[in-house]
Amino acid sequence: MVKLTAKCILAGDATVGKSTLAQLFRSDGAHFQKNYAMTVGVDIIMKTVHIPETNDSVELLIYDSSGKEIFYEIMEKLWEQPSILCLVYDVSNEQSFNSCAKWLQRVRARTLCSQLPGVLVGNKTDLVGRRTVEQKQAQEWAAQNELEYFETSAKEMENFEVPFRTLAKSFHRLYQERVEAIQSFV
Amino acid sequence: MTKLSDVCLSSCGATVVLATSCDERYPPENILDGKSETFWTTTGIFPQEFIIGFSGPAKINKLTVQSYLVRNLKIEKSISKDPVNFEKCAEKELENSEGQLQTEEFMLPGCQATYLRFIIESSFDQFVSIHRVMADGNMDNISSTA
Repeated sequence: MVKLTAKCILAGDATVGKSTLAQLFRSDGAHFQKNYAMTVGVDIIMKTVHIPETNDSVELLIYDSSGKEIFYEIMEKLWEQPSILCLVYDVSNEQSFNSCAKWLQRVRARTLCSQLPGVLVGNKTDLVGRRTVEQKQAQEWAAQNELEYFETSAKEMENFEVPFRTLAKSFHRLYQERVEAIQSFV
Repeated sequence: MTKLSDVCLSSCGATVVLATSCDERYPPENILDGKSETFWTTTGIFPQEFIIGFSGPAKINKLTVQSYLVRNLKIEKSISKDPVNFEKCAEKELENSEGQLQTEEFMLPGCQATYLRFIIESSFDQFVSIHRVMADGNMDNISSTA
């Protein structure tokens, strides 16, 4: 039995729904933030995820980071040595999708690790008529950048847990692989 | 002159009094069992640390740390009865050695300690391992009776 601890950077443009997703996940769907409250700097949210078919768990420290450029200098320091990455954009806001490359590069620059498990999340799928980023386009970009892709609607409470659970599982798998690698040469 | 030996062994009364990670398959006690094949793993975010306590005051001349994927390592010592009041005694940036263990020596002439604290500030990968800590030295109480 082991409890791993992962620093999960939650990044993306302002107002794409990062805090709402994080709060929903923390509260198991009980807390949907109806009004917008800008995140100042970083909020840290803690949640332990059990890894199915094992006795192991991963404690996620979710660094819910402001999407406002003005806070970036502070966030950069708080992002040092990330474990995993959750990148969010709004499917009705093309600019927020285009910014993903910038956020991805910024987070990857904070680590020396060869592997940083990550997911790309297209949020606000409830805004069907206003969608400007097609699923296929986002999926392709995610694949090129070695990210798993998910779509969510925090408002409809759809899929909000899956990205975080997937990240916890990837982190757990990485630990198993690393330990096996060490055992193979000692 | 008393003979120098490795005082960093559980068989000499050394114990790990604190470790910030614990996978029961790779417990911190593996650091003190005298074997390089067994190890302690860190299980996530950095910094990580462990504290080794000796059975009494020890004189240490040299420390050797066997590890994997550690980048920055800081060592502090305490001469208190309890693991408090640590003072820094060494810090190093280690080289990455993919596929083999890092063996790093720290010369600490005249160092006295009842506790040693090892802080892993950063790493080359998400997880690191510590295989062995060796301390060439002697226990004060042993030298007085010798």
